[in-house]
Amino acid sequence: MNKLLGILFIGIFFCCAGSSHAGEIIQDELVNTTLLDKKIEKPEPFENYNFENTDVVEIKLAIVDAIKSENDVYEGQPVKFRVLSDVHYKGRLIIKRHTIVPAKVEVIIRSGMNGIPASIIFGDFEFEGINKHLISDTYEVRGQDRSLLVFPLKWALTILPPTGTFTNFIKGGHARIKSNKLVKIYYHPKWLMNNGKEQM
Amino acid sequence: MIKNFIILLAVIFMTVPAFCADNTEIVQEQTVQNKIDDIGTKLLNSNKIQERIMFVYDEADKKALLKLDTKMTSRRVFMYEGAYKFADNDDEIAAFLARGIVIAAKSFDGYFKGGLNSLQIAASPKKYEVIADKLAVDLMVNAGFNPLGLITYINKTVPQRRYDAISNKNLASKRLAFIYEYIYNKYPYFLVNNEYLENEHYQNFLLNSQNNRRLLMKKIETGSKEKIKYE
Repeated sequence: MNKLLGILFIGIFFCCAGSSHAGEIIQDELVNTTLLDKKIEKPEPFENYNFENTDVVEIKLAIVDAIKSENDVYEGQPVKFRVLSDVHYKGRLIIKRHTIVPAKVEVIIRSGMNGIPASIIFGDFEFEGINKHLISDTYEVRGQDRSLLVFPLKWALTILPPTGTFTNFIKGGHARIKSNKLVKIYYHPKWLMNNGKEQM
Repeated sequence: MIKNFIILLAVIFMTVPAFCADNTEIVQEQTVQNKIDDIGTKLLNSNKIQERIMFVYDEADKKALLKLDTKMTSRRVFMYEGAYKFADNDDEIAAFLARGIVIAAKSFDGYFKGGLNSLQIAASPKKYEVIADKLAVDLMVNAGFNPLGLITYINKTVPQRRYDAISNKNLASKRLAFIYEYIYNKYPYFLVNNEYLENEHYQNFLLNSQNNRRLLMKKIETGSKEKIKYE
């Protein structure tokens, strides 16, 4: 009996030793040193949607500080928009005029060859009391699209090789947004599955 | 009479296995197609993408995986058997489909009903490769998938080129670094509560991205806003 217990004990010991060795995995030092002490919330997925309702509310915004070029901003940069006019839904005021709306520069697309314009994608709009999943996720500002000229020119020049290739070097316009540029964001108040109750 | 009966039996024996094999293949394809449809449609719905995009599972093999080809700009996302076999879980399938959705959705906006955008993507695949990666992360998170699945999927499927300066593709290591930085800045939750830390492919990514993660660490420590020149 004792012998049996002994064998069992040794077996358990080796199993534990093996599993502790298997647990030695590469740790992400970058995360451990820079993120662990921060309060981080879990991103909430949009899973309880219900697209039955067709109500849509237009929110008119303008950026507070103009951006002259995509080179002047970085991804993740906080930006502010202001609401241009009162927003009502079913006769009720839901967003006041001049309300400041924080947002972020999400993705920057640099201008490229063939006249492809630069682009700034804004997102993460934060409206007080409104579920972020019920509003447009992003708003994109694009520079001058010169590919409209480049592609026809390139094709026209194919009969004179290699001149068409030179059109590759025409770059697209910079993405800019002035403080008087109208930005439209859409709010869908009843896209959540909660027995038709209004989300505000 | 007996002779005819034997001939009939022989014919039945010869044809039935062929039918069974065909049916099994069809059922298998149907199962994969349904899975791709479910994951793809969840990505569309959770991200409120109002454009109609189809998902197609095709057994035909394709040499280059995750290519931003013209088929994607035709508003259909093709997942070939060669790409599907690398996907270990739903996160990785979602990663593949999310990239396709980003490109397909772009083909709805702009001049000529999106035709010009499709041309631009075809003319500048290197640029849109990284953008598709970043936006795919957003789509995945909104739909409840873990964006680290994109890292493991690319780590498994995209070979490392020698150079990318004169190529129309980015180095896989650069793409992975950009994705990691994007997740670090926007969705750090997934790195702090890392479900992939014991995944062999994620561990391999941690191993092969040491230098790039050091560059990111330096950027964070110095508070620099400059774009990092990843290796």
